[in-house]
Amino acid sequence: MLQAATCGFGWTAFSGLAQAGLMAKPADLKPRAKRVIFLFMSGGPAQLDTFDYKPQVGKKPHPGSVYKFAKHGDSGLMISELMPETARMADKLCVINGMHADTGIHAQSAMQLHTGDRLRERPSLGSWVSYGLGTENANLPGFISLNTSRPTSYSSAFLPSIHRGTPIGVNGENMSHATIADVTGDHLPVSAKRRQLDFLQTMNRRHLADRPGDAELDGVIKSMELGFQMQASAPGLLDLSDESPATLERYRVGKQEKRIGTCRMSDFGRQCLLARRFAEAGVRFIELNHGSWDQHKNHRRDLEANCQVTDAPVAALLEDLDQRGMLEETLVVWGGEFGRPGLTPDNGKNETGHNANGFTFWMAGGGVKGGHVHGKTDEKGGRAVQGKVHFRDLHATILHAMGLPANDLTFHHAGRKHRLTGPEGGKVVKEIFA
Amino acid sequence: MFRINPRIAALSLVCLGAAVAQGGDAIAPGGRAFFETKIRPTLVKQCYECHSAKSEKLGGKLLLDSRAGVLKGGESGPALVAGHPEQSLIIQSLRWEHDLEMPPDEPLNESVVADFVRWIEMGAPDPRAGDAKAVAGKDYQPGDLWALEPVKDPALPQVAASDWPRGPIDRFALAQMEGLGMKPTKDARPESLIRRLSYDLIGLPPSLVEVESFVADFKKQGQGAVARLVDDLLASPHFGERWGRHWLDVARYGESNGNDGLSRNPAFPHAWRYRDYVISAFNEDLPYDRFLTEQIAGDLLPADSDAQRDRYLIATGFLALGAKPAKAMNNNFAMDIVADQLDVIGSGVMGLGVACARCHDHKFDPIPTRDYYALAGIFTSTETMYGVAGNEKLTAPPTDLHTLKAAPNVKPPAGFVETVLVRESATGKLKPIPKSKWAPGAPVAMGVRDGKKPADGKINLKGDAKKLGEVVPRGFLSACDSVTGIKVDPKQSGRLQLAQWLTSPDHPTAARVMANRVWLHLFGRGIVHTPNDFGVYGERPTHPELLDCLAAKFVAEGWSVKQLIRTIVLSRTYQLDSRADGRTIDADPENLWLTRHSRRRLDAESLRDSMLQVAGQLNPSAARGSLIRHRPILVNLGGNLHQPSNHRSVYLCYLRSSPPPELAAFDLPDFQKSMGRRESSVASGHALYLFNNPFVLKQAERFAASLFEECGSDESARASAAIRRAFHREPRTDEVARAVQLTKATEAEVGCEKKALASLCQALLAASEFRYID
Repeated sequence: MLQAATCGFGWTAFSGLAQAGLMAKPADLKPRAKRVIFLFMSGGPAQLDTFDYKPQVGKKPHPGSVYKFAKHGDSGLMISELMPETARMADKLCVINGMHADTGIHAQSAMQLHTGDRLRERPSLGSWVSYGLGTENANLPGFISLNTSRPTSYSSAFLPSIHRGTPIGVNGENMSHATIADVTGDHLPVSAKRRQLDFLQTMNRRHLADRPGDAELDGVIKSMELGFQMQASAPGLLDLSDESPATLERYRVGKQEKRIGTCRMSDFGRQCLLARRFAEAGVRFIELNHGSWDQHKNHRRDLEANCQVTDAPVAALLEDLDQRGMLEETLVVWGGEFGRPGLTPDNGKNETGHNANGFTFWMAGGGVKGGHVHGKTDEKGGRAVQGKVHFRDLHATILHAMGLPANDLTFHHAGRKHRLTGPEGGKVVKEIFA
Repeated sequence: MFRINPRIAALSLVCLGAAVAQGGDAIAPGGRAFFETKIRPTLVKQCYECHSAKSEKLGGKLLLDSRAGVLKGGESGPALVAGHPEQSLIIQSLRWEHDLEMPPDEPLNESVVADFVRWIEMGAPDPRAGDAKAVAGKDYQPGDLWALEPVKDPALPQVAASDWPRGPIDRFALAQMEGLGMKPTKDARPESLIRRLSYDLIGLPPSLVEVESFVADFKKQGQGAVARLVDDLLASPHFGERWGRHWLDVARYGESNGNDGLSRNPAFPHAWRYRDYVISAFNEDLPYDRFLTEQIAGDLLPADSDAQRDRYLIATGFLALGAKPAKAMNNNFAMDIVADQLDVIGSGVMGLGVACARCHDHKFDPIPTRDYYALAGIFTSTETMYGVAGNEKLTAPPTDLHTLKAAPNVKPPAGFVETVLVRESATGKLKPIPKSKWAPGAPVAMGVRDGKKPADGKINLKGDAKKLGEVVPRGFLSACDSVTGIKVDPKQSGRLQLAQWLTSPDHPTAARVMANRVWLHLFGRGIVHTPNDFGVYGERPTHPELLDCLAAKFVAEGWSVKQLIRTIVLSRTYQLDSRADGRTIDADPENLWLTRHSRRRLDAESLRDSMLQVAGQLNPSAARGSLIRHRPILVNLGGNLHQPSNHRSVYLCYLRSSPPPELAAFDLPDFQKSMGRRESSVASGHALYLFNNPFVLKQAERFAASLFEECGSDESARASAAIRRAFHREPRTDEVARAVQLTKATEAEVGCEKKALASLCQALLAASEFRYID
């Protein structure tokens, strides 16, 4: 249905004709958000020590929260002591405590979270958003993935390749040098490069005119222009030297000095600040990566480190977007491929595993209710029991916020229609929208 | 384990009349898909261990591996009541209600249970055949998959425009068009045709002189001129470099293992020998059946000379250069190697994905797990020799290599010092490089040989090497039953018989798959659009009879790849223009029906080679060895190992996880798996590469320098020569004027004539006309 609605003769004909997808396309439903910032917390964040408070009940000690929680904001949202800065933004957060997934295997669950499929390479969420809506700007890609190490997480798979994410930086490497390949070159001044491009485009248009109806050659002309614009826009966006020292401090840019246990150097402050800058510049889908939250044997030390290096930057991002009036039109999503079971207080153990049966995501902005909790897990926090949300429901909800009908956003490939939400389809969690 | 529950037993008796959706055609497609995606995987994974004909101990006398078994039920009665999940024993037990708790270790995810509820509500559609006592056996109908039907040499169809076709290919193509009310476009101009043929056959552009001489020839002699050109191109040593590279994609060729999952990437310092083998095999037009046999079982073939023996051993590198996950903490390592070998033979040679069957019967294709382990036994009886794996045992234990006899000993260059050191895995401390068992430069090759004790293997339940099921005699795919009379010799691994089986003229897919690959590289799209997947979820052929015609001809003419290419490119269908009228393009937007020739972007290798060629920089000789030769290192510790080279791209160092930077931007695969069809994208990253990549800038400079040499100070002569060289055609007047305008203005701005001319050259190298083939 969306296929026909968004372009005259259906997407099938366009398969491979990448650039055609660049045009911003009107959203089908009422869009709440214009863009998504996805804070991917790789490794399985411990929800019971961050956002899903499980105090001890009854006489027998049981797994639950081992850090202190308190009420925050006017809403009284319960947030752990490990997230003091994020807690200041409590009234902006919509916490989803009833998440559940199919598997506790990192790679498979992360892939399912990103693409809807555990095993086969499929287009990622960002690619579907880009495919559904096109880009808002002519100078930058529609989908950027920062500090990632999984190509499947930004793959466009069978969608036209213009919807593929542009990766910047590799997880675990120094983000301060991360950039887009060949984005700069000082062999000629910009004016001479422009003149060169004008000559080139005249040749290309002539070439196309002799070959009427070739959408790919038309796409080449557009991509040359986009590439040219990126030379001007991308390096400036990646260069934070025009930010005030106060802003750099607020985001904690470059503040993480070493790796602690599973907590890698991700310069999450830089990522968050870059995300704001890309959002301002009109990038449709921005993914940030931090990991690993897979703190098996040293749960407390590594969890504290992960919280410490992400807490202030995340809060700064939310606050900054809010102050600039951008939060309402930006859907911020926080979460990992699954969660963890809780520790039992005072039993001397400090090791946790994986739990896909119940965990937490939160969203902010993009028309979701602030200071709101949706769904719950059982008393030990091990299993979602109310308001359950599967990844396919999460996908449907994110697409819905963007004004896209998740179950009707399809692409014809290999003999059948595909969609992000898979054969089962996803259910929009309508209750979380204001 | 199921105990009798009188209440349920009573209910099920009441409902025995409820119809259960039957197997085969009676099932609605939705029901079948639901069963295949939701129910079967869970049954296989969670239940079959105790409730299938293959279970060592059958639980509760209940079989869940056939529809009949489910209906008959076990000790507690029928497992389900169609349409009534609440009354179904299986639901009670999956919910761990009452005393029926299944699976016994821990309850399944609620969403999975909900799927079972929905399935039963749908009437429990279940396509599985077999009776309740069934043992392992075929679970498919041979007609289920077109690709397994024997190849038939089909009769030629009648066409209305009977003067149009030149031969069978044209007849099949035209018949299809006429049936759809379409017409072919006009024939290509000779200028386009020579460029197309040159790229398609040798991967390089023709020079202006060659174009002009061909055009003159064509005007006099028409197809005679084309045939001569084709024969010249087929005889060029560059032919093997072009077509060998296509095969290297299929063979998932890489010169290092790629990231082993723990960030280690051991080099394969001897893999290049396999590359050279492939290039020479295509140049010599080694029959494809022989080519496959040498790669799968070269070590088992009798050799007349040391050189021939070397060559056979090198060919088996095909099976040894796969990407492996780390050995550390990996019980399945040995089977991971086998999985890679089966995958490259499955996807690459047979066009059938067998990988799924490692853990469960293939859900869609007729490949049961039994067949997988019948094939796997051949490779568990084989020793895979990949070398020392960067001297890091945690990534892979070191293996022997083939020692070559006739190949020369090439010592490292004088003063060669390896700067990449070996580190302790745990501490990161440096440790000495272990002494090699081979003298420096000794000629060795990756490959395989038969293991000491060839034996049948056991099924790995759910793909876990620690959970062994029954022994399966070594053999081939039961679904390909058109090939008869070939049995594994129990004293050998069985690779030789596997090769015989694959290359039997009766094999349904091997010839079709290769004919389709050849077609794909000549038309930009295969007759089957998914060259590595002829299975149920692959695409159907657009021209099935044409494919069979090509496959039959291929086999009949001695599996000659050159002959097949020759036949195809001399067809009128291949020689169509890439332009067509708007009506034709609208009616056939993807050019499925061959109404015209598809315009194509140059692939990564051809683009780089063309830039070198046009800049006068290409070294046309074959490069020797590889950058990684003499370096059994971990690539990930080596920094950037790539060095500038002016040889053709096929000779660059194809390290996995660290591809040649001059190629990486243009849809280069990762070579982890067999790759049949590369993507051909349009992306802003390409523009950035063309604007700023040092390789491109360097070629533009050299291109400009050669123009100064050729034309001196005459600006318009330089511009004309540049256009002639880049596009092998005469420039148009307005083009020259604009080009001169560009160089003048840029020179005025930057004050450098060379830079100004280089900027023109760069623009020509980036132009669509340079990068697209009509």
